[in-house]
Amino acid sequence: MIKNIVVFGVILFFYSSCVAVKEYEKININDPDMVLAQKKADKFKTNFHVYREAASGANGGKSGGGCGCN
Amino acid sequence: MKKIIFVIAFFFFAISHAQEDKTKVYKKRVLETTEVDFLSSYYSQDGENASVTGGIGNEHLTDFASSITISLPLNADDVLTIDAGFSAYTSASSSNGNPFDTTGASGNGYDDDDDDDDDEYDDKRKYNAQDPIIGSPWVASSGASKSDVWSTVTADYSHSSDDRNFNWNSNVSFSAEYDYISFGFGGGVLKQFNEKNTTIGLSGNAFFDTWNPVYPTELKSFKQVNGNLNQGFFTGVTILDQNGNASSGWNPLNNFQLINDKSRNSYSASLSFSQILSKNAQFSLFIDFVKQQGWLGNPLQRVYFRDVSNYFIGNANSINNYTSLGNSDVFQLADDIERLPNSRVKIPFGMRFNYYINEIFVVRTYYRYYSDDWGVQSHTANIEVPIKISDKFTLYPSYRYYTQTAADYFAPYEQHLSTEKYYTSDFDLSQFNSNQFGFGFSYTDIFAKSHVWKLGLKSIDLKYYNYKRNTSFNSSILNVGFKFVMD
Repeated sequence: MIKNIVVFGVILFFYSSCVAVKEYEKININDPDMVLAQKKADKFKTNFHVYREAASGANGGKSGGGCGCN
Repeated sequence: MKKIIFVIAFFFFAISHAQEDKTKVYKKRVLETTEVDFLSSYYSQDGENASVTGGIGNEHLTDFASSITISLPLNADDVLTIDAGFSAYTSASSSNGNPFDTTGASGNGYDDDDDDDDDEYDDKRKYNAQDPIIGSPWVASSGASKSDVWSTVTADYSHSSDDRNFNWNSNVSFSAEYDYISFGFGGGVLKQFNEKNTTIGLSGNAFFDTWNPVYPTELKSFKQVNGNLNQGFFTGVTILDQNGNASSGWNPLNNFQLINDKSRNSYSASLSFSQILSKNAQFSLFIDFVKQQGWLGNPLQRVYFRDVSNYFIGNANSINNYTSLGNSDVFQLADDIERLPNSRVKIPFGMRFNYYINEIFVVRTYYRYYSDDWGVQSHTANIEVPIKISDKFTLYPSYRYYTQTAADYFAPYEQHLSTEKYYTSDFDLSQFNSNQFGFGFSYTDIFAKSHVWKLGLKSIDLKYYNYKRNTSFNSSILNVGFKFVMD
């Protein structure tokens, strides 16, 4: 699993060097809803997932520690 | 762990030197003005598998949480962010740490040790033989553990390079609740390449947490009187066997052992990669490596073994209906608290893909695969489609699917064997899947014309989510957020 992820990441890294969207072309990319992270307003929703589910992490939120949860 | 710290240190060093830029460039302030975010939520849940009462019982819980986040631009490059908040809950499940509280189910077994523990209510209470007997896993008691407040504060300092292609941050946090204290710190770096089309990030965090353990009342009391069921809490209390006959046979597993390691330390390292694919599409990948050590169970959560005789306090006639929701007046004495390994390694891998369809629709997607060495594997998929209905208003319909396998150490009520080394009946570690539907709207005023004092209102977010498992559990949460910018 980890090996596949690393290979996938390396392929993507080299692929990325072929593509360059200029700053003046990023009006859509810079739309607030295009942010590659959860919204601040969803912080407490993510907290309840951390408490009520065994999985956590890889979403910018808690991944363990800081509370008596999972 | 030393290797991880070395790799992180090397990464910091390499990137900080790689981004040196001798040319002067015009730079926009990272943050133009102070921003203030107020967030609040109201959460409610129900279910029939309370972990405090061994996997059966009322899971009703409500929680009100609120936080304030202040982001201060210290200069053109540096930002200090302070986040403070609290979360206050009332829980039927947690209240049954001491199910005998207002009930008389324990006869005159009120706690008279005048300590400052979970039985504080009993310390002040005089036994009244006329009290109704209502203690059961299905009835909330009024013990001190019925409610709690989790308070937290985090400070984060971030610095951006002149060309804004490199950023580092460090943070420190503290949180406390009735039975738990946490101290944490961390930091990370972000490097942008390829005309800011590609971003790589690396971060690490460590939490040094400590339990102030609260045990189920009968187990703590058993320990206090060295197993003498005619003393202390148990004075005058009739303990019943499975047939409803008085018995003195109850004896928790191994005479009940208190937890010997109250620490819970968590270390995490995260790697992220994001890439702009086109003018309308971008994605990111995240992988975390998390190691936890210490007491990873919850000392308040009971376990009942199937190969151990059952003992009760309360109404003998209700024993045969113990697992029924109609049981309101008999409670089963615990065999033990949950016991789990003192180490856990978690590896979640996630990805996001966002696509800008047109001026009205955006598609936001998220997927996560999670695996740990307790045998849990899970998949999470989330889709949200923001719909801009005007310049200022956006709707946010969303759907989330989640599924997980059970931890190796999980079994339901009365299914564990006393010969097992590790055991829990916490249904959050059971096999289940869930569906979550959400809907929200946001109001945005980029000019922040509306004012409160010196703060201009920039946006309001309101979101509601309904969550249902394929078990009895369901919950809902309402979030509201206000974003202000300082004049």
